[in-house]
Amino acid sequence: MIKLTDVSMMLAAAGRSVRILEGISLSIPAKQTVAVIGPSGSGKSTLLGLMAGLDRPTTGSIMLDGTDITTLSESSMARFRREKVGYVFQSFHLIPTLTAIENVAVPLELSGERRAGARAAELLEAVGLSDRTGHYPVQLSGGEQQRVAVARAFACRPPILLADEPTGNLDSTTGTHVIDLLLALHRDYGTTLVLVTHDAALASLMQRVVSMRDGHLESDSMPDLTDRSIAGELRP
Amino acid sequence: MTQFMLNMAWRETRAAWRHFLYFLVCIAVGVGALVAVSLFGANVEQAVTREARGLLGGDLEIRLSHTIGPQGMAALESLSNRDFSITHVSELVAMAARTEQIPMGGQPTQIVELKAVESGYPLYGALKVEPSRPLPELLTPSISVCSRSGASPVTSPTTLHASRFTSDASCHGAVVQESLLIRMKLAVGDRLKIGQSLFIITGIVRTEPDRTANAFSLGPRVLISQEGLRAALLIQPGSRVRERYLVKIPASMPPEPLMYELRGRLASESARVSGYRDAQPQLKQFLEQLTRYLGLIGLTALFVGGLGVATSIHAFVREKLNTIAILKTAGADSATVIGTYLLQALLLGLAGSLIGLVIGILLQQALPWVVAGFLASDLLDQLGFTADLSGTAIVPLAKGVALGLLSTLLFTLWPLLTIRDIKPAMIFRRDVLPPVSAEGGDTVRNWVTRLTKDRVKGGLLLIIGLGLALLSIWQAGSWRVGLMFLGAFVAAVFLLGTSAWMMVRFLNRWPRPGSLILRQALGNILRPGSQAVSITIAIGIGVMVVVTVSLVERSLLRQVGDNRPTDAPTFFFIDIQPDQREGFASLMRTRRGGQNPALIPLVRSRLSALNGKTITLEATSEEEARKEQAVEKDQRRKNWYLSREYVLTFFDALPKDNEVVEGQWWKPGQVFAKPLVSIEAEAAKSLGLTVGDTIEVDVQGVLITTEVSSIRKVDWGNFSTNFYMILSPGSLDGAPMTYVATVHVPSSEEIALQEAVVESFPNVTAINVGDVLDGFARMLDRLSLAIRAVALFCVLSGALVMAAALAATRYRRLYESVILKAMGATRSVIACSFAAEYAFLGTIGGLLGSGLASALSWAVLATVFDLSWSLQPPVLAVGCLATIALTMLVGFLSTYRILGQPPLSVLRHE
Repeated sequence: MIKLTDVSMMLAAAGRSVRILEGISLSIPAKQTVAVIGPSGSGKSTLLGLMAGLDRPTTGSIMLDGTDITTLSESSMARFRREKVGYVFQSFHLIPTLTAIENVAVPLELSGERRAGARAAELLEAVGLSDRTGHYPVQLSGGEQQRVAVARAFACRPPILLADEPTGNLDSTTGTHVIDLLLALHRDYGTTLVLVTHDAALASLMQRVVSMRDGHLESDSMPDLTDRSIAGELRP
Repeated sequence: MTQFMLNMAWRETRAAWRHFLYFLVCIAVGVGALVAVSLFGANVEQAVTREARGLLGGDLEIRLSHTIGPQGMAALESLSNRDFSITHVSELVAMAARTEQIPMGGQPTQIVELKAVESGYPLYGALKVEPSRPLPELLTPSISVCSRSGASPVTSPTTLHASRFTSDASCHGAVVQESLLIRMKLAVGDRLKIGQSLFIITGIVRTEPDRTANAFSLGPRVLISQEGLRAALLIQPGSRVRERYLVKIPASMPPEPLMYELRGRLASESARVSGYRDAQPQLKQFLEQLTRYLGLIGLTALFVGGLGVATSIHAFVREKLNTIAILKTAGADSATVIGTYLLQALLLGLAGSLIGLVIGILLQQALPWVVAGFLASDLLDQLGFTADLSGTAIVPLAKGVALGLLSTLLFTLWPLLTIRDIKPAMIFRRDVLPPVSAEGGDTVRNWVTRLTKDRVKGGLLLIIGLGLALLSIWQAGSWRVGLMFLGAFVAAVFLLGTSAWMMVRFLNRWPRPGSLILRQALGNILRPGSQAVSITIAIGIGVMVVVTVSLVERSLLRQVGDNRPTDAPTFFFIDIQPDQREGFASLMRTRRGGQNPALIPLVRSRLSALNGKTITLEATSEEEARKEQAVEKDQRRKNWYLSREYVLTFFDALPKDNEVVEGQWWKPGQVFAKPLVSIEAEAAKSLGLTVGDTIEVDVQGVLITTEVSSIRKVDWGNFSTNFYMILSPGSLDGAPMTYVATVHVPSSEEIALQEAVVESFPNVTAINVGDVLDGFARMLDRLSLAIRAVALFCVLSGALVMAAALAATRYRRLYESVILKAMGATRSVIACSFAAEYAFLGTIGGLLGSGLASALSWAVLATVFDLSWSLQPPVLAVGCLATIALTMLVGFLSTYRILGQPPLSVLRHE
């Protein structure tokens, strides 16, 4: 489903180039749930962003559902993302001028869904916010905002859901609620779920845990041994 | 404390200078426009003063509208005995005709502005002719030149009347403007028939020091000698001519005593005597007014730019909330913080003004090109005008910097005042600050109550208002014009602001559009703190100024062009002598299928006394001259009516488009005990005349006393001959009279008719109404081009304000576009929503700006030109569409870089 081959990412900062990711190869089969853990600055959020095609790696290829997204044009990438990838941010990133229901409707409208409004209402009901549809983001609590964000990410029923510290800005009770929501989507629709987290307890809920340090893969609880490059790297 | 402010101001500027780019450019553009206009004005004034003697033609000028009488001649002769040089110049319009058929075409006849001079001409200033030989040599060429140019004048008469001057053995030369050669397809060395005489074209005149700077001329200049003019037999009793006697006095002698003396001695000739110091008063006035109004348009650009400055500062303060809160936590009070940022703003204002100076200096090199076009004479060449910087430039330059700095101060005070409301607790929680309301948001009543409660704000508003008023008065150079300007500016800002605000309110209540693109676009405009209102004001004012210029120009053109009745005359034939009347009428009958032309008698006169009180217009002593300086506008208007030449006529019946508003028109068969006069209403009002008053007119020395029997309203725009004064039949018997004929012919016959008249009646001048109107239209076009060129700076300022406002929202736009991209929005979806937003802003700005322009043009037409107004959809539509194109372009340029940002790099920083 997701296959990264020798992905590196350099960023220019203050005139010097900084290596954020180096030689990452990782293969995630469909319907798997994966947690990416690691200290701050280890490159896990960048890795997730690259999987969503939010930026391009400096080198390497990223295959999503059989398509090499590093070769797609910006517009094709945007269309591809609509169909295949849902993304949940740590700080929600709802559009402040749109109401909850309008925020959820955005991806549906972008893909030309006619019943965008009705479908968005269903999604909000599914995340337990049917009484908050007309509220603006500032009128919602953090947990509510994140649930709207999850509804938005899943609006087009993408096969892949990526979540960047989805509970990082939430208290534990609210966080659990959001995680339950994500796991329910995996269970009900077979969605591939990759989430970045600091939280060991949360990581343990995933089928597989990948840990990162200084832009490298440090360990993988379930290395895909059929992939020789990874196998080679992991063997002592 | 001050050291801290200075340090802090410098540090902040160093860190955020990019942020202030728009601030700098807004000030620079406004100052640039102002400096360009005032530098041009100063240079022109300097040139006019320097060339004053050349412009008048002498130290003194004696001007008459008829040939001078024996008494006057004696007075002039006594002058030459007193060591003064005198030269005689005659100016009149006449017809020039080609002597040979030229197969290539070109006009066979052409109206020209004839100028006959004597050997002393010019007394002052330089006459530029080609070839550069002494003028007498060109105007009175040797016989050999005459014979070289083909046959001798005696042997090649190709026209019937040429045989008349076979007796005249002398040979006359003419120096002409190049345009005559082009129009008639002639070259130097060819011959020209003017009146009853033949002239050899011996040269081309480039510039002439004393050509009256009129907005338009009737035809190209032809310079001939006085002998040549006499040979042409053009000046006959009652002919339209301007006789000028130019006097040069020794440099050590002041001209005034002689001027007063001559005014006394020549009073009976109704001559005008003027000194070089008040040469060309109309030209001076015209240039003064032109620079004044162009300057006010420049000030508009600066004030619109001021709105951009305010926007930049507003955005800057919002961005600096944390810094300001930290400064306050560290112990700085509001005054220190405000002082710091004010100092910073003034430093930037100074930098902007200095850039503006450079723009202005560069620009004023171009302005003369534009201005030169609408003065028929090469006025700027004539003046020896240069766009170089000289000592006089210091005043306009210093004024430019001062205006730039003061505007910066006035426009930054208000947004900086919000610093007072920032609490140190801001560092911890953003929502401590009450939402900084943009112009929208709250009602007018709340605003007023807040102002009255808050003394500082109220006082500041007063200071800003007062400051702006002073700036306007300073630039306008008059209390009245300055305050009117500011009033109009404030009214425009208020109207644009409230209309835009109401539109936003209205749209806010409307259900949201279904399309994501439109919703996003509208959301950006309607969001709290959106800059839509200030963008609308800035764009709207620029549009208003430019569209108003177009609307007024259109109305004027329509007045002279489209409004022309289909039977409007094609020609006015002037200077028809009484003995030519029958012949002329019969020529017209044969040419026009038996139709008689309308022949109207004319007598030229001046006012001599009103109700028995003699009119003395020109001061005959120094004391009177001082009094004259102090006269009011009404008096100047009255003086215009007192001093002008009146063309008198007599009619049995009231002419069409005339309406008696007071008194009675004479009845058929009425017997007149004394001459009666019917006077035009405006003239009667200005002269203070009513029915029963007496007017004494001077017809070339003969005084006629008439009694006002009626007052008429006249429709001056009716394309026929109209008169201020119409006398009762018989009153003008025996006066030197000419006739004017108004003739309508199809355009295909114009040239042939003109040729026939010139051939049979060489002294009669044909004025082609269409050509005159075309000339007027051309002049108007160039004038409005000059005004529009400056007005474009207002639009530029408006565009900058919009760019500044968009720059202030750049981060928010970037953020939203990135989220939308993460949701799968393509670049084109985001671009479309931006485009829709800018198009919408442009629509509001364009509609409101054009609407206001309609109102303003109505005011200008009604008050200045006394013309009716009409809706002009094409101009308004072009205005709106151009505005939309402009806002989309500006928006695109300000935000296109956002479109290419990869989402991750933006979101990482969030």
